[in-house]
This record gives sequence, structure tokens and C-alpha cells, in this order.
Amino acid sequence: MAIDLRYSALKKTPFHSRTSLASRTNHWYTWNGFTVPTEYSTVELEYTAARNGTSVMDLTPMGKYEITGEEAHAFSDYLVTRDLSEMKDNTVAYIIWCNEDGKVIDDGTIFKYSSNKFMLCCAVKIYNWLNDSAEGFNVKIEDVTDTIAALSLQGPTSCSTLKNYGAIGLESLAPFEMKEFNIDGNNVLISRTGFTGDLGYELWIDPKNAEATWDAIFDAGKHLKIRPFGMNALEMTRIEAGFIQTNTDFMAAEDALRPVRMRSPYEIGMGWLVHFKKKNYFIGKKALKKEKEMGSTERCLVGLDIDGDKPAHGSVIYNSKKEDIGIVTAAMWSPTMKRNVALASLRRPYGIKIKDNIFAEIYHPEEIEYRKIWAKCKVVKRQFYSPERRNKVPADLYE
Amino acid sequence: MSEKKYDAIIIGGGHNGLVCANIIAKKNKKVLICEARETCGGLANHEIINYIPSIPNSVTQSIGGLNLQYNPKGSIALSESGRHIRLIGNQHIDHATISNFSTQDADRYLEFDNKMTQFSKTLGGFMMDSPPRVMNNSFSDYLKLFKLGFNVRMMGKKRFNEFARMIGLNIADELEDNFESALLQGLIAHDAVLGSNLGPRSPGSLINLLYRMAIHGNSLFGGIYEIEGGSNKFISVLLDKCSKNNVEIKTSASVKNCLIENDRAIGVELHNGEKVFGKTIISNADPRSTYSSLLGSQNLDTDVKRRIKHHRSKGRVAKLSLKLNKIPEFNECNNDDLNSRMVISPSIDYIEENFNPSKFDKLSSEPVLEICLKNNNENPSLDIQVQYAPYKAHGGWENIKDDYVNSIIKIISKYANNIENCIDSKILITPDDIEKNYHVSGGHWHHGEIQIDQLFMLRPIPGAAQYKTHLDGLYMCGAGTHPGGGMHGISGKNAAKVVLGDL
Repeated sequence: MAIDLRYSALKKTPFHSRTSLASRTNHWYTWNGFTVPTEYSTVELEYTAARNGTSVMDLTPMGKYEITGEEAHAFSDYLVTRDLSEMKDNTVAYIIWCNEDGKVIDDGTIFKYSSNKFMLCCAVKIYNWLNDSAEGFNVKIEDVTDTIAALSLQGPTSCSTLKNYGAIGLESLAPFEMKEFNIDGNNVLISRTGFTGDLGYELWIDPKNAEATWDAIFDAGKHLKIRPFGMNALEMTRIEAGFIQTNTDFMAAEDALRPVRMRSPYEIGMGWLVHFKKKNYFIGKKALKKEKEMGSTERCLVGLDIDGDKPAHGSVIYNSKKEDIGIVTAAMWSPTMKRNVALASLRRPYGIKIKDNIFAEIYHPEEIEYRKIWAKCKVVKRQFYSPERRNKVPADLYE
Repeated sequence: MSEKKYDAIIIGGGHNGLVCANIIAKKNKKVLICEARETCGGLANHEIINYIPSIPNSVTQSIGGLNLQYNPKGSIALSESGRHIRLIGNQHIDHATISNFSTQDADRYLEFDNKMTQFSKTLGGFMMDSPPRVMNNSFSDYLKLFKLGFNVRMMGKKRFNEFARMIGLNIADELEDNFESALLQGLIAHDAVLGSNLGPRSPGSLINLLYRMAIHGNSLFGGIYEIEGGSNKFISVLLDKCSKNNVEIKTSASVKNCLIENDRAIGVELHNGEKVFGKTIISNADPRSTYSSLLGSQNLDTDVKRRIKHHRSKGRVAKLSLKLNKIPEFNECNNDDLNSRMVISPSIDYIEENFNPSKFDKLSSEPVLEICLKNNNENPSLDIQVQYAPYKAHGGWENIKDDYVNSIIKIISKYANNIENCIDSKILITPDDIEKNYHVSGGHWHHGEIQIDQLFMLRPIPGAAQYKTHLDGLYMCGAGTHPGGGMHGISGKNAAKVVLGDL
């Protein structure tokens, strides 16, 4: 449907009538040309829903690209650094992709329907990149961002909510699997994926069923602590889960103005996604292989456990000689774990070989004045929070 | 792991491939050439090119001497009135010739010729060597750049400023500033745009002239030296060398793709299914074919695909060969004149008006012509280079070819009344035909435009300079690499050096 730009330059998602009704703050965020709530009520309440009940987030602005054709599987494998050659039908994989210098452009998830049909999801628009990369492959790339509405349901009671809603047998779906359900006569694709590091699902539906689906889900979850969930709360949950955010924790290679800001997968803790054993070439392989062989990786992205309870937003990290060794890219006080955590980009060998005697200089705002705190940090696993229920099959159910 | 049979497999037996093969084979290496056509030589063929200029010493020395003789060849700019301008490369005589038209032009011509010769020499020195690689941080690469800068600076402040002013200039402005004779302007402008996708008023047409002067011994519009016996002689001399150096040659052996193992080229597969293995593979094909077909899009990074896609390689020169039953009578031309390079390009505007329709893939009814009379055997012929013939013509070449040929003959008849009665047969080879029959994408003489964005370390594309491709073990030695085309073999020689260094 054509959008009348005279009234709004920003697109409204198919859930807009519901999200705007739920918004108590009128705080909105622009994402890929859509407008979505930054927070509905308070970030604490929304965060708590994700950790103790069910959080519902409008994911529609996510870039969604359908890759179809005879060589869809070969192309997907070529596009990303991860080995997808063994990927099974109806599964999802977390992926990153690089440019020719082996620098990361973005991360995302790829959905395999069959060897002729894939869907790639990521935070930003990459149609040109996909299209130019597809030269020489018998595939068709289509931007389906506007034709698929997406909702993310995360939290311990998310499975129960969706089961009440009509997804029979959902609890047996394993992480990174997807399945099509028929609910109220409509097809609903559900994948066990998410950005919170907890039990959670993502729904991919026809936009014309969006409002009815939203209503039915809130009805199904009303006794299971269901709550709409905005971008600010998402930021909290993703830091706890140790997930990286493009252009926050690292600059996308295509967006970085300064070449020194580009990061290879090894520099953002994504080395585990680079598979040189893949049979065929993949974009960036030559440069990545060289980096690996030369050991020329300069930085690393680590988790920090910081003394005290003041979040180290944007802090500079120092060694014991007070030399600058890196910067905090994301920080928070974790209410669930009662820990002061952060993601930090450090200059090697700090963070890899040298993990002790690292300090953060925190400027804590106190009513127009700043308090300067010199806090000791410990390098820890980036995945701060990962409850057992996250990967449990069958998933936990609640009455 | 496959058995390594050859030290080098060269794809394409054009003159650069043959030069490259000889230099490598001379070092006791086993070399194989796979040529898709029935004969070697590629575009070094009188069907395509009128003259083969003198081969640089650095190339002949690397091969161990070539038994070639050279003949001087003057230029004659034909005028409908019969008042032709004849230039032979001797400044005293050329000065006197031009004085008949304009005293001012004659003096200015000497200045212009000296200046252009000096610039062409300065650039030429840089062109003979393999280009520096930017961002490589290698000392020798910086030294090369420094040397170019130094040579340019050593021309003196005045000349340096002039060089800086002219490097991006169009040839028309420069000529109109200097000369009043439209015919003289037309001759030099013709030589500046021949083989390129530029009109005389297109920015950058001056650098094309400097490039062409550099490969013609720093002289062009004045007069050149051509190989006696032309392309046939040139190629047969190179082939003799090949057999002496034990280079194996397979003809009618069209290569389908490179064989790749562990991210390295290990051989080639022919279209007939045969596989041949070698330590190094050297492509004499144009960059687009090398990357898209031999290397394969599926093995390229996206950024490289983009660069190859943007590589400008659409040819604009067609070749008309007229077999004659007798020599046509050109107005006011003696035998010496008929042996010269006859150019029909009466003025800058004539060329520019001709260039305009070609931008829209249309044909001009009055093309620019360079005519070469071959009169050394029983079957004389007129070889005519026709500029600007679009790569893909509007309406399809097959439908308009005959009309085009007739319009060319009509132009010639203005200068030689009886031309139509002298013709036995006529063949027109368009850029499209060059692509199909000679396997050069775009049908471009130089396998890619000679322009600042495709020269030196940017030739053919950034990241592929210095004769290496993005695939280890696969090299390039064709006109698409630095310095460019023009039948001088420098690309082949430089590539051979790089390959020998890696072998």
C-alpha cells in the first residue's frame, strides 16, 4: 500500500495503532524509516517483563531480505563468514558478513526455508550490498521489510503465552529452529530466536493480521505478566546477554569514515563465526586469512565486571600505568545480577593476555555535576546473563 | 594434490602473451600458451590495427633481441581543397610545411611539439616499469613515485606548472590556444582521441595523446616508425622466438575457467573439458573476462565485483578493409603521400560532431578516418580505422553495417573520386565483432580506457595492480594492465618479471 508522505515522512508499522495506544510516554525512535516506541512506560518495568514475564516488541522495521533461486544456499554461504553448507531446513543461524578487507559490515540472522529460499534479517538496510554481491549467482534478492510484520516475544512465560494464543506444541521447538503454525486460520511463522539472551520467540506474519495478532497475544498473556517492550529496555537485555550492536560496539565497515575504526570479526569477539574450512570462497576470506596468519588483530571486545554500582557509560579504560587502552562501548547496572557490567573495546594484548589491573574512569552525573570514579575492572565472559531455561527443550511452561 | 606440469600457463596468445611467454621460457621454465583462436596474435592483426609502432628497447632486450626493421611513416592531413598538411617528424621541414599555411602556427608548432615530447618522455619513463602499489608501504614503491615526482619537478618551474595545467585538460582548448589552422588542429586532435571514448572537448583527452606519444617513441602526429611487414611480421618473429624457447602453444584451445585449490590458481580447464596444471597462470585476456569468467564471480569479493563492473572498456574504433583492384587516385597526392598515414579529420568540430551521436550509440554519417594503403603485394588494400563506431549500435550493427560502410566510402570519395571503381570487396569489423571474434569484452583496443582513473596503480582496477589478480597464482599480462595497449609488449614484459620473481 502506498504511504502518503504528506502527513508523515516516517512509516508506521502494521502494529502502530496498538503500539501508539500502549505508549504512555510518546517517546519514539526512528528505525529504518519506521517509527517505533523508545519506551512505553518506564524502562525498568519493560525490562522486568522480559526477565520475569513476557515482553512484546514490534520488530517490523528490521531489514528483511528474501533470497530465492537455485543458488540461494550457495549464495548465502558465500555472503557470510559462517559455514552454512550443513544448515538444515527450517532453522535459523546467527551470522556476520564482511567486506573485502575482512571488516564486519553487520550481524544478523538467516532463516532457511529450503535450499531455494532464505530470509536474511538485520538491523540496517543492505539491499545494494546483497544485490551487488549476488552477481554471478542464480538468485533473486527481494526486500520484504514492508511485507512481513514481525513481533518478538521474550521472557520466561513467552512460550506459555504463545501456547495460549494457539501455537500448539511450541515448547518442543529447539533454539534456532522455526516452524509454521496455523492459528485462527492464519499462517504464523515462529522462530525460537531473540535479542535478550533468554527464552524467547519471534513471529513473522502477514501485515494484515498484525493488529488481530497483537490483540490475541495480549489476551493470551494477560495473566503471564505480558507487557509491550521498547528500544531502551532492549538495550539493557542485550548488554546482559553480551550481544553486540552495530554502530554502538563497533562501526559498520560500510559506514565508518575512518578506516581505523573498521573492525574484523576477531576484534569484536566474532572469530568463532569465521570458518576457513568452508568449501567455497566467502566475502572477505582472503583478508581474514591473512589477518589470522599474520596475527595482526589489533583489538578485542570483552566483558568487564566493574567495581561499584555506577555504570561506566563511555568510560576510557586504563592500565595500571594510566595508559589509555580502550573504551567502554556499552554499560549498565544489571538489576537481575546485581552487577556493574560493560562491553569494552580494548587494544590487545589487554583483554586477551593481560586481564588484571585494568581500570575504568567513570564520570557519574549527579545533578549537573560529575563525580569522577576510578573503578577496578575484571575481564569476564561477555555473556553476562544466560539462564538455563534459555536453551531448555521442551521449554518451561507456566499456568 | 595435482601434479604441476607447467611453470606458467598463459591464457591468450596476443602479443603481450607471446612476449611474456618468451621472457619466462628463456629462464628454462616450461611455458604453455592456450589460444582460443586458430592463430596467435590477438588484436595485433592487420584486420584490426593499421600500424605496429616500434617496440621499446626494454622489451626487445628482455626477449633477447627481435629481428625487426622499422620504416618511418609521415602523417598527412587530407583537405578537400587539396591543400593537405604533410608532417614527417623533422622539425625544420615540418616548420617550413606549416609556414605555407600560417607563420604563427609554424613557430607555435615547434614549441608545442617540444613541450609534448618532453611531457611524454617524463610520463614514458614511469610507464616502462611496473607501477607502484599504493598502501603497500614498500620502500621501492615510494621510490618510484618519488622518481616520477622528481622527474616532473626537474622539468623546471615553468614546465612543471604547464604540466600541472595540462594533465586534466581537453585537447581542443590546447590546440585552439596555439593554432589557427583548422586542419592542423584536426590532425592532432584525431591522434589525441583515437582509440578512446573521448571527444576533443572531453576532459582528459590530452593525457590520451601523451600516452599514445609515449608508446610511439614520443612522437605521433609528426611521424612514427612502424614495423616493416606490419603485424604479420611482428607476430611471426615472436612465434619464432617461442619455438626457439620451447614454448608450447595450443591453438583453438579456449579456456573455460581457472582451477582453484586452497584459494590458489592451480591450472585451467578448457572448453573441451581438458585440464592443464601449472604453478602460475597468466591471463592475457582483458580484465573483465579474467575476473568474471576465468576467476569467476563466485570467488570475488563484492567490492571487487563492483570495480570490475565499473571498469570502462567499450571500444569506439571500427576497421574497414577494402580490397582493391587498382590504386585509387587521391587528389593532389604523390606516392610518398600514399605511403603516409592519411587522416581525414578536417577540424576539431568535425570530430566533436562525429563523437556526439556515438554517445547515444548512434552512427555519424561523416566519420573520422585514418587510412593506410597497403601496396606491397599484388592485392593492394585500404585499411581504414573508423572512429567513432559505438560498441553496440542503436538498431543493431547487422542492420546498419552496410549503410555505414557506404557513408565511409562516400567520405573517401571526396578525396579520391574514383574510389568506388577500385573496390573488390569490403569488410567492416566493429567493436562488437572484436568482442565476439577476438574475445575482448567491449571490443576496446586497450582492454580498457586510458584515463586517469584507469592508469598506473589504478590499472585495471585498484587492488589488482602490479600484474597480480585477487587470486594467488593468477596474473595478468594484457593491455588491461599498466601501462595499457598499443602493441609495445611492456605489459607482457613487466608481468613476466613479476611472475619470475614469484616462481
